[in-house]
Amino acid sequence: MQLIRIAAGVCALAGAMAAGAPLAAQAAGERIRITGEIIDTWCYFSGVMGGPEAVVGSAHHTCALWCSAGGIPVGLLGEDGEVYMVLKIEGDDASAGGDTQLRLASHEITADGMLYRRDGLNYLVVAEVVADAGIVNHSHDDFGVTPGFAIPEPAE
Amino acid sequence: MRRLVMLAALLAAGPLGAQDFSAGSEARSWNLYAEQPARFEARVVDMLCAVTGDCPENCGAGRRQIGLLRAADGVLVYPNKNAQPIFTGAAVDLLPFCGADVEVDGLMLDDPDIGARNIYLVQRVRRLDGGEWVNAQSWTEDWAARNPDADGEGPWFRRDPRVGALIEKDGYLGLGPEVDAAFIEDWF
Repeated sequence: MQLIRIAAGVCALAGAMAAGAPLAAQAAGERIRITGEIIDTWCYFSGVMGGPEAVVGSAHHTCALWCSAGGIPVGLLGEDGEVYMVLKIEGDDASAGGDTQLRLASHEITADGMLYRRDGLNYLVVAEVVADAGIVNHSHDDFGVTPGFAIPEPAE
Repeated sequence: MRRLVMLAALLAAGPLGAQDFSAGSEARSWNLYAEQPARFEARVVDMLCAVTGDCPENCGAGRRQIGLLRAADGVLVYPNKNAQPIFTGAAVDLLPFCGADVEVDGLMLDDPDIGARNIYLVQRVRRLDGGEWVNAQSWTEDWAARNPDADGEGPWFRRDPRVGALIEKDGYLGLGPEVDAAFIEDWF
């Protein structure tokens, strides 16, 4: 009888997992203070504009504005090299093209907030931007601008 | 008992270990380093809600990023991109499906070396209750409706008022007009 109950439990677990039920629960958050650059995650992850070093900082600033305004998620590229997907900044939950994240494009900030980890990604809810150092990565010295058409050719 | 434990492990590992969702996909390649075609069923969710439990009406009504809770394994997939090759995200295309069970087709990025896990480019979506496929390319139409005074020549990102104001203030490099001027003189 006990074996039958165990087998039934196993089947129920498998069915629930297939439906995604227990895995759909929210992850537990942890308090974090982290410093890094607000980046355009699609260009960073996809490589569509070049390698990771070319799609951060001043070289990529205009594209980062376009992508942020275009509703592509922004992330914080931490000093630890990890990307933290930003879901909210100082009460502003407009993560799909909002003004707060747009204003911080390419800036190095120190953020205090909550970190959540789920399915291989880091998620950040920023309670406070403790420091905003502006753009400190002058990557245009090495890469020019990415993409090359970011700056329109001046009229003659 | 040992057999039951093994059975439990097998059943548990089945959906979680299924990383190949390419069957039946008609996704168009973008020739990205880590792309894989991926067609799967999912529930459309508000990302902030799914991660933290902060859940307003209608997935945030357009403010928030939209996610896909994959039916096969419960993984939260993050659609970063829609099908338009012009700097546009996926939330506008997915918001009309908030809370619905859908099927999506697109490209999955998996590049753990740079932290890319379950990152998705959605190309089309349909409701599971018999809906037609809808191409995920409505961002520019939505932008045009929100920016009626920004009509004119050129793509949206050259005409966007918010982007334009920031470039005018801080320059294309974001370091101020003087740095911009020196760079542009050398660049062209």
